[in-house]
Amino acid sequence: MILLMIVAAAGPLAGTATAACGARGRAAGWTGAAGALVSLGSAVWLLAADLHRTPVVAWGGYLYLDSLSCFFLLTVAAVTLLASVGSVAYLSAEEDAERLTSFQVRLYYVFFGLFAALMLAALETGNLGLLFVLIEASTLASAALVGLEARASSLEAAWKYVIISSLGVTIALAGTLFLYYSATGLHLAAESRLAWPYLFSHAHALAPQSLRLAFLLAVVGYGTKVGLAPMHTWLPDAHAEAPSPASAMLSAALLNTGMYAIIRFLAITHARLGDGFPRAVLLTFGFLSIVIGVLFMIRRGTAGGPGGRPPGVNVKRLFAYSSVEHMGIIAVALGFGGLLGLYGALLQTLNHAIAKAVLFLTSGDVSLRYHTREAAGVRGLLAAVPVTGGALLLGSFAVLGSPPFGVFLSELTIVRAGFAGSSPVFPLLLLALLAVAFVAFARTTTAMVTGRPSVPPPSGRPDESEFAAHLTAPDPLSSPSSEPDALAPPYRGRVAGLAAIVPLGVGLVALLVLGLWIPAGLDTLIRHCVAVMS
Amino acid sequence: MQSLSATSAAGVLLDLSGVLILLLAFACLGSKLFNRYVAYYGAQSVVLSFAAGVAAYAFHSIELWVLAAATLVIKGIGIPLAARRLLVQRLELKRDAALSTGLSTSLIAGGALTAFAYLVTRPQLLPHGLVAAAVVPLSTAVILLGGLAMVVRRHTVAQLIGWLIVENGVFLGAITLVATFPFIVEAGIFLDLVAGAAIMLVFVSGLTRRLASASASELRELQG
Repeated sequence: MILLMIVAAAGPLAGTATAACGARGRAAGWTGAAGALVSLGSAVWLLAADLHRTPVVAWGGYLYLDSLSCFFLLTVAAVTLLASVGSVAYLSAEEDAERLTSFQVRLYYVFFGLFAALMLAALETGNLGLLFVLIEASTLASAALVGLEARASSLEAAWKYVIISSLGVTIALAGTLFLYYSATGLHLAAESRLAWPYLFSHAHALAPQSLRLAFLLAVVGYGTKVGLAPMHTWLPDAHAEAPSPASAMLSAALLNTGMYAIIRFLAITHARLGDGFPRAVLLTFGFLSIVIGVLFMIRRGTAGGPGGRPPGVNVKRLFAYSSVEHMGIIAVALGFGGLLGLYGALLQTLNHAIAKAVLFLTSGDVSLRYHTREAAGVRGLLAAVPVTGGALLLGSFAVLGSPPFGVFLSELTIVRAGFAGSSPVFPLLLLALLAVAFVAFARTTTAMVTGRPSVPPPSGRPDESEFAAHLTAPDPLSSPSSEPDALAPPYRGRVAGLAAIVPLGVGLVALLVLGLWIPAGLDTLIRHCVAVMS
Repeated sequence: MQSLSATSAAGVLLDLSGVLILLLAFACLGSKLFNRYVAYYGAQSVVLSFAAGVAAYAFHSIELWVLAAATLVIKGIGIPLAARRLLVQRLELKRDAALSTGLSTSLIAGGALTAFAYLVTRPQLLPHGLVAAAVVPLSTAVILLGGLAMVVRRHTVAQLIGWLIVENGVFLGAITLVATFPFIVEAGIFLDLVAGAAIMLVFVSGLTRRLASASASELRELQG
């Protein structure tokens, strides 16, 4: 069992090792994807083994696995697999077009594998101090991915990301410190005082004052990683500037890892302080995030006109704000609590992760074909590139929670949980915000998909030309990119083309299945997770 | 519970170090020269390693001795030296012109934050008589002052120093509040810090090569 856990966490390192040994980008990519598959396989295996009654504890609590960690392990491993396969297609296309050097591609695979492995490891530890260490380390690994393209704007985004996230996670460390302090009355061995299972089972004896402070600091600190407003400011920049598969990892894996840490603190706090305090904190941050996310989606949804208007809609920024909104929804669901609320929160986590991974991978495909990330430059995608257009359309409806996709089901569960609570104001507010989000988001993406196909600007990209002076990588503008038909598939060879499409298809099918029918195993798993949390 | 009383010799020394660390954070906040930022941070780290040594002596903890030595070598000498060589001298930074408030305003705000730190942590959380009761408000104040420095300074190098001061504050709280933090965790935190500082050094020098100055206020390309 322990070996299986190690394999699950170390799987993605295969890509890191291959790339570090100097293999070609494509080989490292496929090795990484194989490693991610191994990870997902071990996660499923761990699930199939009956964890629900006896969590695995080893190495003095440093290694710990229960239903909750298993659920998140499954989610993150699935996203890693989708993103790894997507990476092969995206990165080799970028390399072929000489937008990235082969060194940059290798660097990407080194840090991609490290990033994924650190997140998976964070989900497998029961020690809250080690959890901090691993999450902070994953921040540092992913910063390299954000700054990979080495343009002024991507370095800026990476800087913002590192400085804000590190500060945030340091605050979470202060929270961990106070939690540790609140356990001083327990006379546990020093090792166990940071071990989650011990703390949870002795929650009734924790000092309430410092526990309260600890929870607040943890929500603010890890909330920075989750992207809860007002700590979300790094998120749109980092998501927009990272290569698309890395954005998928940030949005669908990293944010969930942060939420996992908050859930661990929530469970302890809930056991000691009851409903009121955690609910107030989570509802406040949750609704603030939804409102901020929706507001920016409206602003970004305004098509760029002439004059002093914002330059247009960067699709990936739009998706990033949608992530802020969804993390807010999950926080609200955790705040509602109860079986329905927690069930909805977990289901929403899984659904959002898959949907967002699909969307970011699609955006990568679009930006490869059209050489722009601005939505205004893309029209008639459905006619020009039916597969990508279809995936974008279906993916955005899925993420917005229209039936029959999984997000609809989980959002419905969350709203029901709200109505089961004391005041109907909150669920009604949630519904209203969801409706606004739907309109704001869909009018951008549907405009991209429908209409007359636009011809991508042959090479002179207005939004890129100002960066040309800064580029150290071989400049795409100076390279002979005189393809007459720029909409031709950017991938060389059928395998790469398939690698671009397969994750989209698999993700959408999974979302559809989750919307129509929740497999019995998943249902039991989520119920056990809820039992772990309360 | 292993905790030091405030009247023991070690307790007095820890208390004194805490006060010095706070004063150095104030000194950093009240300065405008890049050289001074780095020097004050280095001095603060040296005092911190002294505090860790005192705690190690009091608790007879080998791990804490290791940590004190690592603090002295890496935070007290390594990071300040690297920051001075790689950033201040190479980029020829002298006066920091990118302040969003005047020095006196930020010092007054710092004083208010220190009072706030005492207000929040002292009465409710900690039993009187322990040295932690005196030092934890100090460390909270250092954390807040570091955050304040990051807010009022727009230059990336200054923000980096602010973050390092925040880390020092957390570390000060950690050694007095919970001297028995598991070693793996302490070591991991330390490694993260060092790696973080290294990555930030790389980014700052990368950014400054691309933009004429690395003032964060000029990083305006990405908005909202």
